[in-house]
Amino acid sequence: MVVHILGKGFKGKEVIKIALASKFYGIGLKTSETLCSKLGFYPWMRMHQLSEPQIMNITSELSNMTIEGNARAVVKDNIALKRRIGSYEGMRHALNLPVRGQRTRNNAKTARRLNRVDRRGYHTSTGGNKVTWWKRWFF
Amino acid sequence: MHQSLYLLSRSVWKGPNIVPLPVKEALAKGAPIRTNARSATILPQFVGLKFQVHNGKEYVAFEVSEDMVGSKLGEFVPTRKRFSYTQTKNK
Repeated sequence: MVVHILGKGFKGKEVIKIALASKFYGIGLKTSETLCSKLGFYPWMRMHQLSEPQIMNITSELSNMTIEGNARAVVKDNIALKRRIGSYEGMRHALNLPVRGQRTRNNAKTARRLNRVDRRGYHTSTGGNKVTWWKRWFF
Repeated sequence: MHQSLYLLSRSVWKGPNIVPLPVKEALAKGAPIRTNARSATILPQFVGLKFQVHNGKEYVAFEVSEDMVGSKLGEFVPTRKRFSYTQTKNK
């Protein structure tokens, strides 16, 4: 059984608070736990136990939060601001180098991959339902 | 600006790092403030003033805008030069 929330599919056996935290950018465990307790779900409630109005409640709560594109835009805005005022941190972002004083003689690979002015957000949508390659032969 | 980051970096009871700078005279004259205090926090009173901050070698000039409030003077004057290779002719 698949539950759909804001255009994302969830398996029935997934725990609600963990599934929400792993699928939506901008929601962590802390936020999803407060959301669940606000709506009166017990901590280890799973997706298949949700009724229609409860799903509607989750959707309305989520639509009031800054998630996904909006949350990524906040990060981008902060970096762009640092770049615009000409600060050191903005310069390090523009050069794809570590921002907080880490060494650059070796490594600094994460910064080289990710740091830029127009920074890409992490993917959160590929986490849960990924099928390993050999499973495709059996199912 | 960036209140949470600011609070993470420094104890609240200390308050911002306030360095005595000739702000009043600079406001009156419009002359740039020449200083070595790179760690001085930019206060709201500094907005619109011109600063010349030491980078270890010379004094680099910049103007304080509203977005810079809360950061340090030294953040806008880099101290290191990017490495660029130059071929030497005579060894």
